[in-house]
Amino acid sequence: METVLIAKNITKSFSKGINALNKVSFTLVKGKVLVIMGPSGSGKSTLIRTINGLETFDEGELNVLGIKIDSNIDERKIKKIRRRVGMVFQQFNLFPHLTILENITLAPINVQKRQQTEAEEFGMYLLSQMGIDSHAKKYPNQLSGGEQQRVAIVRALALKPELLLFDEPTSALDPERINEVLDAMRNLANQGMTMVVVTHEIDFAKEVSDKVLFLDNGKVIEISSPDIFFSNASHERSRKFLNQLDKN
Amino acid sequence: MRLNIKFFLQIVLILILIIFVWIILNNLSINLSRTGIGFDFYWLSKPAGFSLAEKPLRYSPSDTYAWALFIGWINSLKVIFLSLIFATFIGILIGFARLNKNSFIGLISAGYITVIRQTPLLLQLMFWYFVGFLNLRNNNFLNFNQIINFSVQGIDLFGIKFSSEFSALLFGLSIFSSAFIAEVIRGGILSVPFGQWEAFRSLGLSERTGFIKIIIPQALPAFIPGLTSQYLNLAKNSTLAIAVGYSDIYAINDTIINQTGRAIECFIILLSSFLILNLLITNIMGLINKLIISSRK
Amino acid sequence: MAIKIKNLKILFLREIKTKISFKPFSFLLNTVLISIIISSLLLALNWIFFKANWSVINSNLSLFAFGSFPSDEQWRPLLWLVILSFIALINIFGPKWKWLRKNLLIIWIGSVPVGIYLLKGGFGLIPVMSQNWGGLTLTIFITICSILFSLPLGILLALSRRSSLFMIQKFSSFYIDIMRSVPLIAVLFFGQLLIPLFLPYGLEIDRVWRAIIGFTLFVSAYIAEDIRGGLQSIPKTQLEAANSLGLNKYQITRFILIPQSLRVALPALTNQLIGLFQNTSLMSILGLMELIGIGRSILANPEYIGQYIEVYIWLATVYWILCTLMAYLSKQLEKEMSSNKGY
Repeated sequence: METVLIAKNITKSFSKGINALNKVSFTLVKGKVLVIMGPSGSGKSTLIRTINGLETFDEGELNVLGIKIDSNIDERKIKKIRRRVGMVFQQFNLFPHLTILENITLAPINVQKRQQTEAEEFGMYLLSQMGIDSHAKKYPNQLSGGEQQRVAIVRALALKPELLLFDEPTSALDPERINEVLDAMRNLANQGMTMVVVTHEIDFAKEVSDKVLFLDNGKVIEISSPDIFFSNASHERSRKFLNQLDKN
Repeated sequence: MRLNIKFFLQIVLILILIIFVWIILNNLSINLSRTGIGFDFYWLSKPAGFSLAEKPLRYSPSDTYAWALFIGWINSLKVIFLSLIFATFIGILIGFARLNKNSFIGLISAGYITVIRQTPLLLQLMFWYFVGFLNLRNNNFLNFNQIINFSVQGIDLFGIKFSSEFSALLFGLSIFSSAFIAEVIRGGILSVPFGQWEAFRSLGLSERTGFIKIIIPQALPAFIPGLTSQYLNLAKNSTLAIAVGYSDIYAINDTIINQTGRAIECFIILLSSFLILNLLITNIMGLINKLIISSRK
Repeated sequence: MAIKIKNLKILFLREIKTKISFKPFSFLLNTVLISIIISSLLLALNWIFFKANWSVINSNLSLFAFGSFPSDEQWRPLLWLVILSFIALINIFGPKWKWLRKNLLIIWIGSVPVGIYLLKGGFGLIPVMSQNWGGLTLTIFITICSILFSLPLGILLALSRRSSLFMIQKFSSFYIDIMRSVPLIAVLFFGQLLIPLFLPYGLEIDRVWRAIIGFTLFVSAYIAEDIRGGLQSIPKTQLEAANSLGLNKYQITRFILIPQSLRVALPALTNQLIGLFQNTSLMSILGLMELIGIGRSILANPEYIGQYIEVYIWLATVYWILCTLMAYLSKQLEKEMSSNKGY
């Protein structure tokens, strides 16, 4: 089993002396799905952003696909990681001035130096997989939120990433649009994509994840399999959090 | 009922305005007849009688006032157009540099902006003229292989000569406006949501590519209104030419008034010149805005 | 604390390290730029401390401050300037009592008649003609008078431009657009020339007041547009709320629209104030002896011929300090407004 992601004692402090992340450690094996849960402000987003270098950290070590990074920023290594790791954001962050297809082919053409026709063909193929190839010539603001998020997933997939990061991909969506995005993610997981997902969707986590990491105040409270976490969480705080989620 | 009150109010207002204008015009006609100047535009076809140092077209003192005014207009256009280009260029550089927080370059550009913005343009113009150019006593102060030559006579670029008055005005206007344009550029770039930066970074795009392909195209529309108003300001500020003795449209109006006393006519001429100039600038900027929008669709 | 400093050091070293190892070109550029700037700074400092002849400033300080105000009476403008700086100091460092803050505007307005009395004289003081007013005193006098007149005029114009009365709306739009399209120097120059022509024969306004009228007419058009921007930023729900409370039109304008739009427009208004303060310098072209006018007349004195740089650096410093102070004052005011959300 190839380990894709190893985090060792990652610590990040804000200026006020508050720890955004406090000695966070975990591992992820190829083809598996890690779900990160926790109350808002617990450091989930910060944690997932450290994986592709959008956030820096002060102590600890991170091994992403065999590339080791630590608190010393090495831009070359971070660039290497970003080429092999895809990311999907809460607010989609599609480029509003580019068409859907241009959004998708931008990085393959400019980063991977692929031929335009080849990149467009592959982009169209991915779009058709998601069932949104008819929108290829449209601009992002002409699409619904769910469609935009699926485009964002395609944009990440177009680089043929070895690891996909999802930062609360469904939080900004209308309730009736959530499932179309979750379905797409389910399919990816079934195809064997390695993923790290920050989410509040319990059903999705139960069904798809191989491991759940519960974060509170920047600390890992527990890491366990979803069966154990959702039925028999070992920690008082995790149980409280789950109760709260159920009520909503 | 309400409508009637509104109607009545407007009638009263019009009456007050008419009475006010009538009083003013009455005073004016009394005062004008007392000084014996009168109000007409026939003098425009008479010979001006003064000479001009700065003449892009043929001009002699025996030419008409109208022709002198036209020369002034061309002079204004020349200095406005060139300063506008330089100011934009410097402004973009400084604006980008200002984005580097907590770095030496950021600090320097912030210093540049505060020094330029918090001192009067007039003082800066006088500085460029009296200290910058008139102090260059020898004839080639900075001479790079005959390509460009700075001296007390102004700038000589490939044999094209620019007077020291023009050069000082060009320097002063460009640098003064660049500080304001830099703030417009910075504001426009900051108006692009931070998520867009994160998105291109997460795709592995380099900072340069991302900046050019993602950030700039989105910031462009935000630049336009700010730039337009700065260009309009630049055009208006160019009338400070009179402080360094450059004969722009305002300076020539000033000379004519001193010679003929035709203050009201000259005010009308100046006002219409600037209305035309402003229309020119806003229309060109509107065109650029349209181009930007259409290039996206 | 120690850890913090260590972290900072590491961060700094890290930055330099990445710069050296990965961006050789930009590192080179930085080094060249830094050395050019530092060496020119050193040259400038060397000039300022060892080569410049500051006697042109030292021996003319009273001219820069008061112009040709009679020397026996110079305590009067001095007193006024002291009063003004005292009010400014209270504004910045004074206690945050609400009644004091509320009355500060009235105190500022009150400083104008005091200034006029002190400068002009009469009623027990020896009268001094406005030709003798000058220097920083005149610069500040013109600035304060113009801004105090143009603020209400600007608000009025902004409200008129949004008025439902067709004539009022058209008239103020016309006025604002015309004023904003002419250069200031033209407004000032023609103000000097035309105002006497528009007045009945025999009635005269002196140069300083003609300048103030010119500035007021010009600046109020710009202030009107800034305030209109503020008015537009007020959400419709505010009007609906005010209407549902049964406030009448005047009350809505007075208690809802004007205060909110002023708060939004404050940064823009500060820029107008700073611009006005700098632009009083244009009066030196039209023959007033304000700061720059004094500078020009001193440079015309054969005794100080050619000492341009000293005089310009001195004037630039004075303007820079005062403009920065104004910007700081307004930042303070902005903070206050946003922190206590009240007026």
